[in-house]
Amino acid sequence: MTRQDPIKHFFIWPALLIVLVISIFPLIYSLTTSFMSLRLVPPIPARFVGFGNYTELLQNPRFWHVAWTTTIIAVISVALQYVIGFSVALALNRRVPGEGLFRVSFLLPMLVAPVAVALIARQLLNPTMGPLNEVMTFFGLPNLPFLTETRWAIGAIISVEVWQWTPFVILMLLAGLQTLPDDVYEAAALENASPWQQFTGITFPMMLPISAAVVFIRLIESYKIIDTVFVMTGGGPGISTETLTLFAYQEGFKKFNLGYTSALSFLFLIVITVIGLVYLAILKPYLEKHR
Amino acid sequence: MSIRDLKGPGRWWALAGCLIWLAFTLFPLYWAVITSFKSPLGVVGGPTYIPFVDFDPSLTAWSELLSGARGQFYATFIASTIIGLSASLLATFIGAMAAYALVRFTFEVKLLSAVIFVVIAFGGFLFGRHMLGLGQAISLIYAFVAALALAIGSSRIRLPGPILGNDDIVFWFVSQRMFPPIVAAFALYLMYTEMGKMGFKLVDTYTGLTFAYVAFSLPIVIWLMRDFFAALPVEVEEAAMVDNVPTWRIFFGIVLPMSKPGLIATFMITLAFVWNEFLFALFLTNSKWQTLPILVAGQNSQRGDEWWAISAAALVAIIPMIVMAGILSRLMRSGLLLGAIK
Repeated sequence: MTRQDPIKHFFIWPALLIVLVISIFPLIYSLTTSFMSLRLVPPIPARFVGFGNYTELLQNPRFWHVAWTTTIIAVISVALQYVIGFSVALALNRRVPGEGLFRVSFLLPMLVAPVAVALIARQLLNPTMGPLNEVMTFFGLPNLPFLTETRWAIGAIISVEVWQWTPFVILMLLAGLQTLPDDVYEAAALENASPWQQFTGITFPMMLPISAAVVFIRLIESYKIIDTVFVMTGGGPGISTETLTLFAYQEGFKKFNLGYTSALSFLFLIVITVIGLVYLAILKPYLEKHR
Repeated sequence: MSIRDLKGPGRWWALAGCLIWLAFTLFPLYWAVITSFKSPLGVVGGPTYIPFVDFDPSLTAWSELLSGARGQFYATFIASTIIGLSASLLATFIGAMAAYALVRFTFEVKLLSAVIFVVIAFGGFLFGRHMLGLGQAISLIYAFVAALALAIGSSRIRLPGPILGNDDIVFWFVSQRMFPPIVAAFALYLMYTEMGKMGFKLVDTYTGLTFAYVAFSLPIVIWLMRDFFAALPVEVEEAAMVDNVPTWRIFFGIVLPMSKPGLIATFMITLAFVWNEFLFALFLTNSKWQTLPILVAGQNSQRGDEWWAISAAALVAIIPMIVMAGILSRLMRSGLLLGAIK
């Protein structure tokens, strides 16, 4: 139960003010620019074009291609992160031998700068000087152009994302698993419930709220992917691995087409909001059932 | 021996899985470490794996790096440390307070007041900018103050329409994270430049970058801390309230110590985010307060295939986080154990 107390204003206003200040300007600025034709290079005076930028974008096949690529990367990598992360968190929670060592080292990737990860991945996947292709040769497999062929490039980006962000899933799910009460499992053991029954009947349902939060955070964050792609493939070959943020970067800071970029970011925002709402709508009945 | 410990063959399957994941996790880091000790010739000659057996380690990359031949390394490192620590401490603290308030107290915001805020902020900005011909920053500040004052004032009087509760406020905070950062970064740069013209230098300053990082970490802090606070037993606080302990002492003396694992996890996540952040640092700094990711990325464009130098630079950005993870995970385990005993 929540209660009333005047001190609540003292608690919430610092955060509220900071976020208001720093979120309202970009919002006002980019929403107003998205209805204008505004370029910095060459400098053209701002001109009101209404929904011109939006219709132009929606008719641009590149936009749809980029949105699709981003969706593929985000959905597949988050699915893999969740499955692997949950398994590892379960193992760590059950005190697998060497758990202390695992716990520290499994969290490492999350803490590594994405720029640095992408640079290391470039080295590992290098067709002539990299170790991965040498291993492939050793096993008699053909050498693969990991970063210059669309499918492999997307696969490489997904692997880097999984490598980097599964630790986040592990950290959050492990924290959740440790709050589960022991007595439920003791009761289940008395009833001779198999480990699988315990998982589907107790662990998974009780972990559903935190799972939903973790997957949601990762999904939203994955849609914003830029640094990894930027360093690893630069969006290539062609535009085949270009993501939404990278597309916005190209339009905004290579061509300085601010109106178009702002419209793109608002479409991006709408796409993310729709995905978030659909996600929550699908999950809501399950979350309420287990409350 | 707890009821949840694995027994029998399951234990060894779990161990095998963990070992495979460990190899996958550690190999890229191992590769970066050995590459930083390779000589230029050792890199070009194809992949090698074990120092002294495969290749002769050399200190070329590290001596170049530490002697300052590759840019102002120490200054960047110190700037990154100061900004990272202070921004994540501030964000965790302010965010924890807000999250606690959102879990324990009742908030009611009239939808109409929120609408008034947005309309006045937008309208005031456009009015000041195009009708009065004011600068962007000035019209924004006026619009913001006017909108805030009107919104607070309007919430005092009786207004029709739906009322937003705590969950809606949390949703608003979290939804700030959805906004594509690229536009926010560029708009912030424009705002900071405008402020600079008015005498408040924010581009390439400690204040500017820290403020941006605190603001962009707050949503995630509030989201995470809210879950941790909601899981705390409310009875302890109720007992304290019966004894007339003031709310701020309940928060600092009881709630914060009880939620130490959550605070540490949140702090860790925020620090990692701030330390590794690329886009904002790129736009909001240019020399004095540049952070490590910018320096590392710069190595790539300047040095191309000089893997030994790139690996060394990347490691300097990586190692402090690894050391911190070691210390914090130790703290966290003791904290978690304490929580389990109580």
